[in-house]
Amino acid sequence: MNAAPVIEVDSIVTRFGAQTVHDGVSFSVPGGQIAAIIGGSGSGKSVLVREIIGLLRPAAGRVRLLGTDVWNASEEELSALRRRFGMMFQDGALFSSLTVAQNVATPLIEHADVPPHLLGPLVRLRIALAGLPLEAAVKMPSELSGGMRKRAAVARALALEPAVLLLDEPTSGLDPITARAFDKMLRFLCNDLGLTILLVTHDLETLFGIVDRVIVLSQGKVIADGPVKEVRRVDDPWLQSYFHVRTILEGATNNHGT
Amino acid sequence: MSASARYCWLERAGEQATLFLSGTWHLPRIAEIDAALAGAGMPASPLTLDGAALTTLDTAAALALLRRIAGAGASIERLANFNVSHVRVIEAVRARVDDAAVEAGPRHHGPLAVLGMHAIEFRGLMEGHLNFFGRSAAALGEVALRPRVLRLKELAAQFQHVCIEAIPVVVLATFLIGVVLTYLFGMQAEKYGANIFVVDGVAIGTCRELSPIIVAVIVAGRSGAAFTAQLGTMLLTEEIDAIRTLGLSPMQVLVIPRFLALVVALPLLVFVGDVSGLAGAMTVANPLLDITPTTFVERVHSELPVNHVIIGLVKAAVFAAFIAMIGCRMGMTVSRDSRSIGINTTSTVVQCIVSVILLDAFFAILFQELGY
Repeated sequence: MNAAPVIEVDSIVTRFGAQTVHDGVSFSVPGGQIAAIIGGSGSGKSVLVREIIGLLRPAAGRVRLLGTDVWNASEEELSALRRRFGMMFQDGALFSSLTVAQNVATPLIEHADVPPHLLGPLVRLRIALAGLPLEAAVKMPSELSGGMRKRAAVARALALEPAVLLLDEPTSGLDPITARAFDKMLRFLCNDLGLTILLVTHDLETLFGIVDRVIVLSQGKVIADGPVKEVRRVDDPWLQSYFHVRTILEGATNNHGT
Repeated sequence: MSASARYCWLERAGEQATLFLSGTWHLPRIAEIDAALAGAGMPASPLTLDGAALTTLDTAAALALLRRIAGAGASIERLANFNVSHVRVIEAVRARVDDAAVEAGPRHHGPLAVLGMHAIEFRGLMEGHLNFFGRSAAALGEVALRPRVLRLKELAAQFQHVCIEAIPVVVLATFLIGVVLTYLFGMQAEKYGANIFVVDGVAIGTCRELSPIIVAVIVAGRSGAAFTAQLGTMLLTEEIDAIRTLGLSPMQVLVIPRFLALVVALPLLVFVGDVSGLAGAMTVANPLLDITPTTFVERVHSELPVNHVIIGLVKAAVFAAFIAMIGCRMGMTVSRDSRSIGINTTSTVVQCIVSVILLDAFFAILFQELGY
């Protein structure tokens, strides 16, 4: 069952005015994987994610998410699809007038028929799954640190028990310790709850630590696609300078070892 | 087979009870699953769970299961015939399920406590306004001493926004007020054959009271609210911090140009309102009261002393100062979320309108006593 592609992106073309951002981007992500999209600034990573979840219409190409053709689906199909994936926006995009618990409860109240006595425990479970302390539940988003806001956004994205979780730069702006804890939480969601995760990232540690598969966008195309060890060997100037720091660090460690 | 048996049923073999789970256990069916668990009649003793017939299990359903088991005073002794992924889900939920039964919601206060909190909040607001007025006065003093610090470009841009672009709406509103006033006065005055006195009443009323108030309320809603929203957004995006960091004064860069633009603009707009209000009155005076435009203008000339117009313009300048100060100050005190921009903008409009009316009442008494 895990072998069937959960996300299929087929020859996506995106243009903003005269500028072509994507010129035939295709890839697919099978179920139960953590896949990462990397690429330089302006290579259209976030734009691609917005096209996958149906927020921004591409100029050409097809997106299939969980078997639904996102851009040719009826409103009912889309509405059913929206309950099956969760999205974490870059800065959380929490509703600022609601507490964290109310933020997480919003999709549950709107879309699921949860018995009232289970709603509170279920919200707290989501908050705990996202790795937030329960004291955070009654706080307003403005009272949270950046890392906690991201976790709260994950808790809200998990509310309806999605099969797919998409994250836009989950570890940007976090200190390394918080970022690694966040990575561990994502790996747990993938391993233990069987979620398929697609993330946009710049974080090398995330790539080497938890990601099964790396998709590299450059000049509007996918220039590499595979496990990080393979992608790293691809002969491309941008990729080589991207992994350069890591190569130096590893060299230093090896020298130290011998 | 009853409906609840679709999800779970209990079998006992002597001391040993086994709860069999079956079917699709996921969030969309959570209400039925929870009802089925409640009706399963679990004993308050260790249970074996059998998951052989379970096709799907998500965390929400696992939570319902664990809470019902705990609620019945039972415990899980053993998980039998479970799929590995289902065991992982149960373990993941079990590690995170909490016993905290009470939801710590926001605290509710009695009416007296609410009144007290509002009173303290109001005092804080007034202190803050006074503080801000003081700092603005100091910044204005700096401009007076060193005119070079005044940002002419920003001042011109603000003037364009608050004055030029407001002219159409001001003309429309005051013109119609002039029409309505003349119509209403005219109907009464006609009974006594006192048609010509309508001109006196409308001219004095418009220039001294109505035009300043109406225009000030329009500007409060237009520019006061805009100041709060602009400065509030700049505060949220850390632009105001950037201004400070670059060694510039937010007071000089943002507040003073807005303040000066509005203080100059409002009297001008009120004058536009005076003219347009009189034009409105003149338009209906001819057909309704047989007062020709020539007679109307002559009457205004002889019966509208210029001090009424001047009083209206002076009041407008003071209203403008209050609107600009309240608008800017509420923008600078937005707390760090987008919701508070909306709250502060609403508060700005309310405060501006209330203060305009209070000031007008104060001026009415003041000028009466002074004999103007």
